Amino acid sequence: MASRAERVALPAGVAATAVALAAVFYVPVGSVLVEAVVVAGRPTLGPILAVLADPFYTGVGHHLVVDPLGVPAGVVDWVTSGFPSVRLGLFGFTAYQAALSTVASVLLGLPGAYVLARFEFRGRETLRSLTIVPFVLPAIMVAVGFVAMFGRTGLFNDLLGLVGLGPISVLYSLEAIVLAHAFYNAPLVTRLVATAWESVDRRQVESARAMGASPLAAFRDVVVPTLRPALLTAALLTFVFTFLSFPIVLKLGGLQHATVEVWVYDRVQVLDLTTAATLATVETVLSLGLTYLYLRYEARQRGAGGAGRSLARKPLAVGWQTLTSPVRLAVFAYGLVVAVVFLGPLASLVVESITRPDGTLTTAYYEFLLAQQASSAVGTARPLPAIVNSLVFGAGTLLLAVPMGVVVALVATRGGRGSRLAEALLSAPLAVSGIVVGLGLLQTAVFGTEVLGYRLTVAGPVAIVFAHAAAAYPFVTRNVAPALGGLDVRFRDAARSLGASRLRALVDVELPLVAAAVLAGAAFAFAISVGEFDSTVLLAEGVDSYTMPVALDRYVGNRSIGPSLGPATAMGTVLLAITGLSFVAIDRLGGRWAP
Amino acid sequence: MTGVRLRDVTVSFDGVTALEEVSLAVEPGEFFTLVGPSGCGKTTTLRTVAGFETPESGTVEIGGDVADGPPEDRDVGVVFQDYALFPHMSVRENVAYGLRYRDPPGDVSTNERVAELLDLVDMGGMGDRDPDELSGGQQQRVALARALAPGPDVLLLDEPLSALDARLRERLRLVVREIQRDLGITTVYVTHDQTEALAISDRVAVVNGGRVEQVATPETVYREPATRFVAEFVGDNNVLDGTVASTAPPRVAVGTGPGEPGDEGGEAVLPVAEAPAEGRPVAASIRPEAFRLGDADAPATLSATVTTAEFVGDSYRVHCDWRGHALLVTAAATDAPTGEVTLGFDPADVTVLEEP
Repeated sequence: MASRAERVALPAGVAATAVALAAVFYVPVGSVLVEAVVVAGRPTLGPILAVLADPFYTGVGHHLVVDPLGVPAGVVDWVTSGFPSVRLGLFGFTAYQAALSTVASVLLGLPGAYVLARFEFRGRETLRSLTIVPFVLPAIMVAVGFVAMFGRTGLFNDLLGLVGLGPISVLYSLEAIVLAHAFYNAPLVTRLVATAWESVDRRQVESARAMGASPLAAFRDVVVPTLRPALLTAALLTFVFTFLSFPIVLKLGGLQHATVEVWVYDRVQVLDLTTAATLATVETVLSLGLTYLYLRYEARQRGAGGAGRSLARKPLAVGWQTLTSPVRLAVFAYGLVVAVVFLGPLASLVVESITRPDGTLTTAYYEFLLAQQASSAVGTARPLPAIVNSLVFGAGTLLLAVPMGVVVALVATRGGRGSRLAEALLSAPLAVSGIVVGLGLLQTAVFGTEVLGYRLTVAGPVAIVFAHAAAAYPFVTRNVAPALGGLDVRFRDAARSLGASRLRALVDVELPLVAAAVLAGAAFAFAISVGEFDSTVLLAEGVDSYTMPVALDRYVGNRSIGPSLGPATAMGTVLLAITGLSFVAIDRLGGRWAP
Repeated sequence: MTGVRLRDVTVSFDGVTALEEVSLAVEPGEFFTLVGPSGCGKTTTLRTVAGFETPESGTVEIGGDVADGPPEDRDVGVVFQDYALFPHMSVRENVAYGLRYRDPPGDVSTNERVAELLDLVDMGGMGDRDPDELSGGQQQRVALARALAPGPDVLLLDEPLSALDARLRERLRLVVREIQRDLGITTVYVTHDQTEALAISDRVAVVNGGRVEQVATPETVYREPATRFVAEFVGDNNVLDGTVASTAPPRVAVGTGPGEPGDEGGEAVLPVAEAPAEGRPVAASIRPEAFRLGDADAPATLSATVTTAEFVGDSYRVHCDWRGHALLVTAAATDAPTGEVTLGFDPADVTVLEEP
């Protein structure tokens, strides 16, 4: 007979998770919304309309708010005068760079999907699992890596110099932002499209061929319809991610290439919280709308994949003939581009951390870190506390995000209304930026919230763990839910028919059988926490709660040792090592990320 | 010993009715089988007894008490299709699992009980193996031992043999039946295989579309099907639609639907033992082995034409055409019958089923 405590344990776990979700995500994000639409205790659309009517924010689109009746005439004027360039405004620019980034990601990622799906070569599986790496790489570190690679004294210009070219400058430009975004999202495109490509049933293509279709026609009629949904899904996700991207734009674009997200951060810095909240609300509504579209689309596509045999892969290297095969030469050229874009920044990070601008080896930057550590000056970003904080916050995130993620996975795999709700709960953090969560936590947790007459405040470090948990728990669920869903329900039923309560069946049978997925999810959560920058930078104002990415940011801004990126690259290398270990853990445990 | 009773049990999933007012009574110690095509509701019935599904209305009684608690509070052992052995536990740990939560019958330790059960299913000495090191038949035995270890009042088996090949299936069903007899445990068995159901059971319930069509001994279900569905589902059969042509002597005119007059010319008229009122639509069923090929002295005869004869080892399955109607006949002939044949039979062997 199951004890009473066991009976209530699961419902209690679900309730506790709901409370935790509210505390780390929904209440903070809700408070941002309220800040935007409630002024002096009264609901109003004033601040939002003010933003929409301001050409600085909405560019040419502000006419829609200010003078909607004049818009048709304006459009006619614009067409008759030969489509002159128009002012985009902050939102327009944000969408523009997101669109460019999406196109770049698709262009860079699509050939990868082709190579992974259609060619056989050594290391193919490894390459495939490497496509999840960007998800565990801290954006701020990647930004520093891009500076190290493409900066004036960076590796790229050094290499160009060797062959008598350059130097070229791509930094602090739209191109740099787009390239870094492609670094992040092209692997997503590759992964999703390659999976779809592999799901094409060989027999369907063979049937088409047997009925007289040419290879090209068979590709058009059978393969393309399978790839299209995956490509659209990947593009929509990339657009949402790059629309909300923060550290990349902040570090590689600066304020002259500011996006909404960077501007929100700037407004918070100058304590203009109302404008920050209003911008954040408009931004969140837009990205939620896009995410809703993505989910609708994805739900319609689900289950389309066949269980048949995939298309046969061709060997990539075929001896000397490889050199006369245009397709294979193109693949190798693509490999070179991939190496420059993906390995370049990471390699540069490490190389720049141990070389002076003149190319000689040095340990000065690591010594600088040690000196910072020894310094007692106020405001110094000491490396050791940053590392310790990152690890402690990472551990705290595990304690919060893993149970939350597992409970949401349980609800999600139970079917029915609960699972649709869980799906929505999972998707919301995808569409809400870290800055918004950080701003919300600042308002609710750090400044305090009135609950039943008590004023609850939460210390900065705890708020940081909250923000990290909000960002990390979907990764736990995304790993655990498929494993739980794939588990034969008869295991659970067998345990219960043998006398185990629902909780005991979970503990004795289900969780041990999905342990690898739970651990992979935990490794993801840890990596997300260690690399999180967006909300941490808002919440880490105090001297004692900065993390490695925040310290990295402070070193980039630190010009006290000249224009050298050295200390930042040294810190970035430490961060790379720790996230690299997380990746190894994820890969060993077979982690998956299927957004 | 414990009986199981379902009273007017209705179960539905997302508004689709899986069981509709099903009432059944399984006697204590009985081997009771639910048989029917896939999706008929037999597994749902079993899962409702086990407590995995909650009836929308109606009650389940186990041992005379209403059972409405969760599965862990019901004293039942379940053997699942594909066995559901815990892959992260050894054979011994699997069998011992239920003893964590329930005390074994008698004053024995967990180890003694596990050893006893593994011996019972002839798997002694295999305790340290992992389930994936076992053959399908061995896994099936372990699953049976695991379900029986806590000494349940009722044993529920859901298609336990369907994953095995035909010969092993026949051997293991004898093992299951013997163990059940030795223990005297009330058993509910689910299968889609009507041969298995007939071979193994004390009584059989034929389930179709969420309803029970007939509950009876295997012999009765085979010889006196209560409905057209049972007549067609259980065993090979000839089921002919028609109307009652006359009651004295009782005859059925085959191939005449409601509203059509019986064929006065006497074509396709089947003599039967008894028939309801004249003009009533009926189905007449007669087993292939009830015909005696070439027996002109039988109480009744038909003349038919052989279309195909299939040799199946101990006999021929002879497909005949009788006035435009297909008839299947089992004939123990030495050579394949051909051409015009006389089919002798006893009208008492024809079951007349009234169409609703």
